[in-house]
Amino acid sequence: MFKTAVAQLRFAASVGLGSPFAQWSLDHLIDAITETRREFGAIDVEDGGSQLGGPVFDEETRRELHLRRFRTQAVRAAQETSYYAHLFERLALEPDRLRFEDIARLPTTPKEALREDPGAFVRRTMMPCFGTTTTGTTNKPTSVYFSAYEMRTYIALSAIGNLSTNRIDESDIVQLSTSSRATLGNTCFAGACARIGALVHLAGLVEPLRTLALLAEERSIPGKKPKVSFMTTYASYLGELVECGLQHAYGPDDFGLERIAVGGELVSEGLKERARQLFGLVEVYDDYGMTEIWPFQGQSCSEGHLHFDPTSGMLEVIDPETGTPARSGQAGTLVATPLPPYREVTILLRYDTQDVARQIDGPLTCNLRNLQATSPLLGKLRLATRHESGWTFARDVLEALEGAEEVPLPARYGFWAVPGGVAVEVVARRSAEPRVRRAIETRLGEQGVPVRELNLVEHRGELRRPVPLRCDLKETAFGVPDDSGGGVSRLTLEEAAGREDL
Amino acid sequence: MLAASFYVVVAFTAIAVLLGWVYFRNYQLARPSIGVLNLGDVAFMICVIILIPYLYLALPLWLVAAIFATAMLSILYLVAEPLLRARWANWLVALSLIGADLWTNLYFGATSTTFFLVNNTVLVLAVVGVTSLWAQSGMKARDVAVLGGVLALYDLIATSLLPLMIDLITRLASIPFAPVVSWGVGPERFVIGIGDLLLATVFPLAMRKAFGRSAGIAATAINLGAIAATMAFLQLAKLEVAVPLMTGLGPLMVVQYAYWVRRRGPERTTWEYLRAEPLDRRRTASG
Repeated sequence: MFKTAVAQLRFAASVGLGSPFAQWSLDHLIDAITETRREFGAIDVEDGGSQLGGPVFDEETRRELHLRRFRTQAVRAAQETSYYAHLFERLALEPDRLRFEDIARLPTTPKEALREDPGAFVRRTMMPCFGTTTTGTTNKPTSVYFSAYEMRTYIALSAIGNLSTNRIDESDIVQLSTSSRATLGNTCFAGACARIGALVHLAGLVEPLRTLALLAEERSIPGKKPKVSFMTTYASYLGELVECGLQHAYGPDDFGLERIAVGGELVSEGLKERARQLFGLVEVYDDYGMTEIWPFQGQSCSEGHLHFDPTSGMLEVIDPETGTPARSGQAGTLVATPLPPYREVTILLRYDTQDVARQIDGPLTCNLRNLQATSPLLGKLRLATRHESGWTFARDVLEALEGAEEVPLPARYGFWAVPGGVAVEVVARRSAEPRVRRAIETRLGEQGVPVRELNLVEHRGELRRPVPLRCDLKETAFGVPDDSGGGVSRLTLEEAAGREDL
Repeated sequence: MLAASFYVVVAFTAIAVLLGWVYFRNYQLARPSIGVLNLGDVAFMICVIILIPYLYLALPLWLVAAIFATAMLSILYLVAEPLLRARWANWLVALSLIGADLWTNLYFGATSTTFFLVNNTVLVLAVVGVTSLWAQSGMKARDVAVLGGVLALYDLIATSLLPLMIDLITRLASIPFAPVVSWGVGPERFVIGIGDLLLATVFPLAMRKAFGRSAGIAATAINLGAIAATMAFLQLAKLEVAVPLMTGLGPLMVVQYAYWVRRRGPERTTWEYLRAEPLDRRRTASG
């Protein structure tokens, strides 16, 4: 306990002062949390969280902290990266003399700049050892580089986060049903699980029946739960699992899943609800993370906000039309700056994620009320539609569609502006029936989507402008289980791949 | 014939041990949410126990008294917290006790009955709080037994072979918050150090948590019996010597631990203990 107190102080020093983390303190905290859980059964989430989440800042202190760390990062960027050296030179700005007001005047860093020349953002004095690319679902993949220190720190912080919020412990069997190309997330999460002592396996994005069989498989591993208890995946792939599982008469009794972490895409309430029909009363976490701004993340709270830890990054919500900070309730793109001591190799200042959320001002009443918050993600800006009565975002449409039983999961849809509102197209069951059309129209209306055209189709191939989904990043597997593997149909992989209902 | 001071000191000792038992079962102290008191902490405690007498002998008495006052204030606040809950009430009680200890020492003198009464009460309350915090922070019976075993040897050296403990108690007995439960003057004076009291109180709590009610009750009876028997023997034999109590208590703790491990198997975690013997949540601070 004495050493734990010292480790906590060392951790707090890094969080509070921005100095690099000491690996011993992170390692000791992981051991201490594990020991605490073993002795007391669970961590007091609010209390434990606040002890490791750093101090709570008022607005002025947060601005001061951000200014200090932004300057540090800006000086590094101007001196050691070619992209920002040119930028600061062109703007004739001295990064060490930036005022808080100046930060907003610095142009945002567009995704294209990083995608075209990722090396231009890497500090010359650093030693990158881990390169990762985004999965490129929405465009050409983007590369980001990290150091050994960063990777070790991310793994340790992830372990601490998952342990102190009671999400994973050593008895868990964890399945990563994510693209095996998502190397940053997979490496950090699998590393964290291994550090915790949970059993982790990367199942990848394979045919849903194969994944369901893995989830339903009884295992007799000493000290572990009998079935997969934690799964991390994408929203659209979870949708596929739900659809496929219900079709094949799977039910809650077939699984031992307790928690599902869903990321990478918008997670609708309809999806969560329908996932519980298949898996039972599972907890669904829909936090926000992005390779480029890693490990700066948004944590979903009890009231559905996204909360951001001010010590790991600086978040701005910028009105895409004016380029100025969004007002309370207004939608804007998330512009993020990962800060030291969390990022040291690839420097990104005011990175425009193109993810849209609404600005929220307090006072909040949720469990994470002390952290800066936005609304849940509304979707990518380039997928959003501007029309006479305002904006329609992917979330508006998705919530409506995935809440309708007539729409198979994941909702495959598209939408665009037409005079007076938006046109929506979606794959629906019995799409020719007027009842189905009415039900979907009603739900879209309830979500405030001004539908002027609604095109219901039977097959995804009929969609004209489908929103891309990560579940389509499928990988091949060795085969699809037969009857002995948990009651699923006897199909070859080729047969399974050829069936759209899987 | 046993002197009144014998009965008073034994009574204060018994109150500390029994009150510790009651408090441990009924009130939940605010423990750190991360961390378990483990063998590493016991090793740290042993280092502190070995070094701190030299510090107290070297520092000016006023500074030692100030250190004790600060420590006592925080401990008394901690003890009051689950009982009173209101912050102002906690401070009122803690500051009143601190003030009373200071005032009775300065006004009535360090050998006055009034000071003994107040100082013994403050010490007993502090012992109750500290031992409950240790036990509720997950301290294992094994760790207390190890501490007891090491202190058995240390006490023998520091009390019987070296003049360290005698010098320390002689020096500190006159200041407020003197770390001894004592009563009487001259040859009838009886004293028990706070260290002995802490170990005698925490061991039954750790044993109860680890092995159940019977083990805790047995530890209570054995500790109190051993302390009372030793003191009675000293007085009946008319011996005016400092006895290293831990040299007797330590091995008894080790033997008890070994017996219960053999009989019951591995000790329970706090989680298992609370599942088997839930607390009355209405009477806990966190409840």
